[in-house]
Order: sequence, then structure tokens, then C-alpha cells
Amino acid sequence: MKLLKLEFKKLINQKRTFVGWAGIAAVPIIMVVALALQSHKPQGGQGPDRFFSLAAVNGMYVAIAAIAMLTTFLLPLLASMAGSSPIAGEAEQATLKTWLFRPVTRGGVLMSKWVTAVIYMAIALGLVAAAAYIAGAIAFGLHAPALLSGGSVSLAHGFWLTFLAYLFVLAGVICVLSLATLLSTIANSSLTATIGALVIVIVLNVLGNFSFFDVLKPYLFTSRLDAWQNLFSSPIDWTPITHGLISFAITSAVLTVGAWLTFRRKDVLV
Amino acid sequence: MLATHGLTKRFGHMLAVDHLDLSVHRGDVFGFLGPNGAGKTTTIRMMVGLIFPTEGYVQVLDHRLPGDRLEALKHVGGFVEVPAFYRNMTGRENLRMLGELSGDGSEARINEVLDVVGLRERADSKVGDYSHGMNQRLGIAQALLHKPEVVILDEPTNGLDPQGMKDVRELVRALGAAGTTVFLSSHLLNEVEQVCNRAVIINKGRVVVEGPVSELHPEHSAVKVLTRDQTRAREVLGAVVGAHNIALDEEYLVVDGVNGNVPDLVEELVRQGIKVEAIVPAREQGLEDYFLGLTQSADVDAARSPAA
Repeated sequence: MKLLKLEFKKLINQKRTFVGWAGIAAVPIIMVVALALQSHKPQGGQGPDRFFSLAAVNGMYVAIAAIAMLTTFLLPLLASMAGSSPIAGEAEQATLKTWLFRPVTRGGVLMSKWVTAVIYMAIALGLVAAAAYIAGAIAFGLHAPALLSGGSVSLAHGFWLTFLAYLFVLAGVICVLSLATLLSTIANSSLTATIGALVIVIVLNVLGNFSFFDVLKPYLFTSRLDAWQNLFSSPIDWTPITHGLISFAITSAVLTVGAWLTFRRKDVLV
Repeated sequence: MLATHGLTKRFGHMLAVDHLDLSVHRGDVFGFLGPNGAGKTTTIRMMVGLIFPTEGYVQVLDHRLPGDRLEALKHVGGFVEVPAFYRNMTGRENLRMLGELSGDGSEARINEVLDVVGLRERADSKVGDYSHGMNQRLGIAQALLHKPEVVILDEPTNGLDPQGMKDVRELVRALGAAGTTVFLSSHLLNEVEQVCNRAVIINKGRVVVEGPVSELHPEHSAVKVLTRDQTRAREVLGAVVGAHNIALDEEYLVVDGVNGNVPDLVEELVRQGIKVEAIVPAREQGLEDYFLGLTQSADVDAARSPAA
């Protein structure tokens, strides 16, 4: 707990923390401004596009359209940065040796950094939702959301479904973050770890887009990042969602344990 | 108190530390001498569990590293290479965090250590704005924070101006006087001579000499004699100490193997009617040469046994 508190203190003492939060929270606002000002409103469409057309008339859908958009690039990028800077970033500044000169377990240090990064991403997503609702309410008002399968649900239920969707995305993003953490225990440069994690995510995404690699698809967490969209149908098909969560849990666990195994015996030379 | 037993570290094919046995006693101000690249920092990193030995172990009080690192580090303070801090935080904030990690982050103790190193006035400036000297001072302050029984300082005077060096050396001496065991790594022989009671010289990861500081350097026996009558002085002195002990250094005759017989030497010169302009101890010059000689002969040994 003490370690966690100190990690969080370090986090909020860094400018880039707030730059990241501000940047990602700006996305739904920009989206709303664009949707409100452009004369040609998007209509219909599939997947994320469908959410855009819904967001253009109902502020409730801005938060949903925002994560549909963010999961493709900006969220993985932020997660890669959040996951790699705690270990490799401190190694670069040489503060890792100062920290590990103290009677703290390496496992504790790694976990506190990992949890702090998760909290960072949770706050980022919270800010996205908050910005989306505020901007959406001002521009389009908040109405009972229509479902993709037709029909609509109450406003309260709409919030609930959106909350679940965000939790699902957070779970997916934790995989990226854990990947970056693992890489940051191997590489001593946080940039290498960030870019490495991002490249791997992009490659996995590409693999998922070709039917040739369909055999791999069940094992790729990246192919499951959009499964939350099933929440907005009635009745909800829970299978892809639970499969997604299981896949995320296994992926994150394997990567984090890998990071721990590397870090506990790592020679800290910088 | 602090010891290494057969401590060895291999990086690929490079043997950085080679079966090093050190033993620091309670209350020692222990000098850890060696040229740059001798394996000093690698040894210290193993002493505090930052890197893992290939062979051997470190003992701090009753605790063995790397296994019992957590208990051992409760009794150890210090830094490795240049002390590193969070630059966007103040010195005080850094100390508070590090103190909390060791169990005592109280303001009273923080102020105490800030006073010890004379950094109280600048404690609330960001570390990023500190000079190198202030950074070193903060390094010492954080080393003392949890009142450790052993303080390990890795070349603490590196890069300091003469006044800063003097301050740090006085601080180390005061620590020793207060009963704290200090392990001071340095590549400066005279620094170790000034502040340490015992020392070891290492090179290529191996011990070259160890013992009390007074026994580390050659007998303080060499003197330099300045005279206009060098030829005769050479004869006379050679008869006393042996001709092989006499060398010429610019206008001085360097006389070795005097063994405290300087008064006799002077008497003999005067009796023989040789006019002596000056006699000075040749010690200052001898030390660094001695150090170099020792570490170079270790090089020769290493070259002879490539398997090591």
C-alpha cells in the first residue's frame, strides 16, 4: 500500500501524466464539435460508424463512439506508455537504483507500478466518459439510447451498459499495458518498450484482419477488443464478451508473471 | 559487519569481480580503492542486491545477499555511482519518499540529515535545479536517513570542487567518529589516506593489497636530497643505504630504504663535508606511483594467467 501511494505520488508529479489525460479526454470533445458543426450528418453504417451516426443525434452515444474510436490507436498508445515508463523510465533516469537501494521487494515494486499504470488508464477512460457526456449533453442532449438491434433502453440502463463497455475496454487495455511492462523489464529504454508494445499490438491487429490467420484469432486479445459492442443489442450475446474477458485475463496474467520473472532476477546496471 | 565471500561477477566473457573476499569491521572507515574499471561499482551493486553475483555472497551483519536482501538493506544506506533523484520533485520530497520506504520519513529526521550535509536552505528547490555538488550532498543525506549501521558511498567526491571534496571528507570522518561503519570507494589514494583507517586496493576485480591504511603505502623511507655535489653525495649515501637505492630525479637525489635513519644520513653527509641544500620526504610523489605500480603489476599477473 505504501509503495502504491508513493508510485501514485510520482505519477501525479509528472507533466506527461496530465498531457496524456488531457489529450485523450480531448478526443470526445473534438468529436462532438465536428459532429455538431458538419452539415452532413453520418447515417447508418456498421460497427463504429453506426455509433457515430447515433452519437450525432444523441449525446448518450458520444461516450460509446469515443471508445470505439480510441481502441484502435490512442488507447493502446497511452497504455504502452503507461506500462513501460514505470520500470524502463526509471531505469533511464537511474532512479530505479535509488528505489531498489531501499528495503522493498522487487515484486512489490513491480506490482505497485503495474497497479498505478492500471489506475492511470482507468482515470483516462473515466475522463473520456466524463468529457463525452458533458460535450454530448451540451450539443445533442442525453436521450434514451436506441439499441443496434432496434428498440431502446432507459437512460439509466444506457449509462450502465456504457459503464460495462468501459470496464471491458479497460480489461483489454490492461493486456497492452502488461505487454509494455514486460518489455520494459527487458529493454532499458522506455521508448523501446513503448514502441515495441505498440508494434506488437498493431501486428496482432493485422493478423486478425486476415482470414488466413483465423486459427490464431481465438488467441489474439486484439481481436476481442470490440466485443463490448454486443452489449448494445437485445438480447445481449454474452459469449463473445465472456470469452474476451477470459482471453484478457489469461493474456494479462501471463505477461505480468513474465515481467515479474524477468524483473526479480534482473541486474540493475543503470 | 560487511563482508564478501568469494564474490564473483561475470558479464559474458568479462570477469568484472573475481572471487573477492572483503571484511569490514564495525566502526571501520574502510577505503575501497582501485582505478576506474577495477570492479568497485560492480562490487557495491552486488553488496546492495542491485545485481546478482555469479558466485559467492555478501554478508551484512547476519544477513546474506542476494537471498536476504530485504533485511540487509534495513541496515545499509548509500548510493551507487552518481546519486539519482526525481528531478521534478524537491530535495525534501525525495527524502520523504525514500524515508518512507525505509520506515522513517519524519520531518524531524529529514531536517536533521539536511543539516548534516548543509542543504536545508535549498531543500525545497527542485532537484533538477541542483548543482552537482548539491546532488552529491542529497545523496549522502538520503544515505543517512534511516540511521543505517553501514554507509556505502561510491566515489562521493567525484566531480566536486576542492571545497566540496573537503566538506565530504570531513563528513565521512565525522560519521566514522560517531561510530558508523563507512565503506568508501575511491580512486584517489590520498583521499582514502585522509579519512580511512583500513583499506583494500583492487584491480581487475581482485584484491591487490589490504590492511591498515598506514601499511598500505611504501615505507615513508624515501627522501630527496638536494646538493651541488651529487657525485660525492651518491658515494656517501650509497655506502649507507646501498647504491641501488639511489636514483636521480631532476636535480634531486632520491634515496630509498632510509628507514627512519635520516638524522644519521645527514650527519654522515656533513662529516664528509658535503653541502646539503635541502632534504625533503619523497612521499607525496611516491604514493600515486606506488598505486600505479601495484595496479599495473596486477595487470601483468592477469595477463600471465588468462584463465583467471
